Amino acid sequence: MMIQINQVSKSFDCGLTYAVRQVDLEVEDGEFLVLVGESGCGKTTLLKMINRLVEFTEGCILVEDRDISTVDAVDLRRGIGYVFQGIGLFPHMTVAENVAVVPRLLNWDNSVIQSRVDELLQLVGLSPEVHRGRKPDELSGGQRQRVGLARALAGGPKIMLMDEPFGALDPMTRGGLQAEFKRLQQTLKLTVVLVTHDMTEALLLADRIAVMKQGNLIATGSPRQMMVHPSHPYVTALMETPKRQADRVEFILRPEGKIL
Amino acid sequence: MNQSALWDQLILLPNYLGHHLLMTLSALLAGIVVCLPLAILVTRVRSLQWPVLTFASVAQTIPGIALLALMVPLLGQIGFLPAFIALILYSMLPILRNTVTGILGLAPEIIEAALGLGMTSGQRLIQVELPLASPVIIAGIRTATVWVVGTATLSTPVGATSLGNYIFSGLQTQNSAALFVGCVAAASLAIVLDQLIHLAELAIQRRSRVLGWVTGFSLVSIIMIALMPLVPITRSARESMPVVLGAASFTEQYILAEAFSQRLSQAGLTASSRPSMGSAIIFEALINGHIDCYVAYTGTVWTNFMKREDIPSRKVILEQMTDWLKRNYQVQVLGALGFENTYALAMLKKKAEASRITSIEDLSLYASQLSIGSDYEFFARPEWKMLQKSYRLDFNEQRTFDPTLMYLAVQTGLVDVISAYSTDGRIIDYDLVVLVDPRQVLPPYDAVLLLSSQASKRSELVSALQVFNGAIDNQAMREANKLVDVDGESPKKAARILLKSIRL
Repeated sequence: MMIQINQVSKSFDCGLTYAVRQVDLEVEDGEFLVLVGESGCGKTTLLKMINRLVEFTEGCILVEDRDISTVDAVDLRRGIGYVFQGIGLFPHMTVAENVAVVPRLLNWDNSVIQSRVDELLQLVGLSPEVHRGRKPDELSGGQRQRVGLARALAGGPKIMLMDEPFGALDPMTRGGLQAEFKRLQQTLKLTVVLVTHDMTEALLLADRIAVMKQGNLIATGSPRQMMVHPSHPYVTALMETPKRQADRVEFILRPEGKIL
Repeated sequence: MNQSALWDQLILLPNYLGHHLLMTLSALLAGIVVCLPLAILVTRVRSLQWPVLTFASVAQTIPGIALLALMVPLLGQIGFLPAFIALILYSMLPILRNTVTGILGLAPEIIEAALGLGMTSGQRLIQVELPLASPVIIAGIRTATVWVVGTATLSTPVGATSLGNYIFSGLQTQNSAALFVGCVAAASLAIVLDQLIHLAELAIQRRSRVLGWVTGFSLVSIIMIALMPLVPITRSARESMPVVLGAASFTEQYILAEAFSQRLSQAGLTASSRPSMGSAIIFEALINGHIDCYVAYTGTVWTNFMKREDIPSRKVILEQMTDWLKRNYQVQVLGALGFENTYALAMLKKKAEASRITSIEDLSLYASQLSIGSDYEFFARPEWKMLQKSYRLDFNEQRTFDPTLMYLAVQTGLVDVISAYSTDGRIIDYDLVVLVDPRQVLPPYDAVLLLSSQASKRSELVSALQVFNGAIDNQAMREANKLVDVDGESPKKAARILLKSIRL
């Protein structure tokens, strides 16, 4: 088991209210788990507790069978890739320097870092020759998130935590990047926890979906289970939109006059 | 302003500029060394933000000259140290505030990325926060530089040599060449240092080797100038230490300090002067040995330091004062110079005659309709309180001026009466009349040469200055003062003429 979340709760106001309440969740090795729910449901807080950007108040989290509260937070984070909507590329560094941040923190050899940077840029679909020396403000939104992805992958993590990574991209770019990332995840056998409020994205990417509402984890299951046997009225409601989209697409594509 | 007057001032420039640079650069360096870590601490421990920034703001709101003056009693010293500390306090606010806002103002996603990638607090600081906040931090340092260079000109009255020496002495002696050189030099220095920091920033940003060399070369030359004042001190032994001459902030004192300095150099001794000090600070400095000698006036010591209200004969005053100084402070009265310079109430002759005022007694009848102007000190001195009490003087208005401007004020009718100095050449030149003091409330003010306890042990120094005992009469002193105040000569030249007239 890659990640085990046991009875984890988080309160920002000393127990008055809970952002996350008694969540149990496990993510298997190589699994792509998508956390969905409306904004404020606690999904981002739950994600950030896995790399201790947010400290939980109750419960325990194991990553690769180690209790993360006993691990140094800095070491923990260096072993986990983290990508978020804001990207946060360092504007004073070139693309290559941004990608090389974690390898440098890990004191890799300079020549190893150079070849690793080129390898990663190619992996995320950027040309090392063209992009290596550019500054972040010379890139498009999609290119920036590709660099953010390369930077998160640079240290060779087994786990990727992603907080609405494709949220700020235009639909064309988003679709392309989603598909590429799914392929990448399968090739590299990454364990991924991705947070989104876009149900379509969840259905496209996830091996398993976990639904949160008001701090509680209310359902988990494969996309098919979610669609066919929703265990909770809220899940049914969430599936409404993608279902309608699918029906509509099917209707449009149907040969004229043919009745189902 | 003629060329030779300008040249007289320019030859002082290396010395003043060197001291000014040494003081401002060391204060700035210390300010940066203190404030950068403090500001970084504030960004990590947010609860410190309010107290630290408030302290710096308060230090900033204290007027520069007040902050400098405050350091003298706090540190019990005059000269470099109080000026240095005050300037550090002055440099703090812009450096602290800009560093804190520069770091805390970074986009939150950049900080989140740094954390998420697994940077430690120190790595985040060095690799991300400082590089990105550096333009704001450097802007703060540039602001501090300009402020410190400007404020350092105010350190002259606390006994630190600076470009302010030009400004204070220029104001006192109505020397426009000195004022001009002082203002231009201080302003240029501020601009040069500000631009130099900018140049260094550009050199780093553009990784330009040429700019780097230019910056480095300018920096080295500036540091060389700043280190100049240190050279003679480190080289000379204790015996040949320059004699430090103190001078209060009016013309006569500048001339006498110059005259002593010229006399000492004839005797093979070197001298340096600390001009434009307040009368209390200068006395304190002598007691503590920060200066070696200065000319005091018996009445000042009698009423202000000995706190006496009785007025015995001038001989008794001199004897008791000599005894008191020796017993309490080991200060030696080398002797009376031969002239006296009393505080005296004076007014325009025309005006006095029109109202038939000849004495302070007469003045008391009109005081409620008149205004009085004085120097920085007089209204705070016991003599003024004694005069007020004894003659029941209650003026309509009291105004304080720089001594030079005080004479102009009475001449132009801005005030009716002033507290003049009896040896001042402007009394005659401006057609003023000195009012008689029939109740003898004001003590005699015989000029006496005081030596600090170490200075009194240096026989070559004592014998070089002893020749001044009884050598300068009222006439000679008034002539010399007039050369500066009325004829616009430099104190140096007036001193040369004074020495010649008393055959030294």
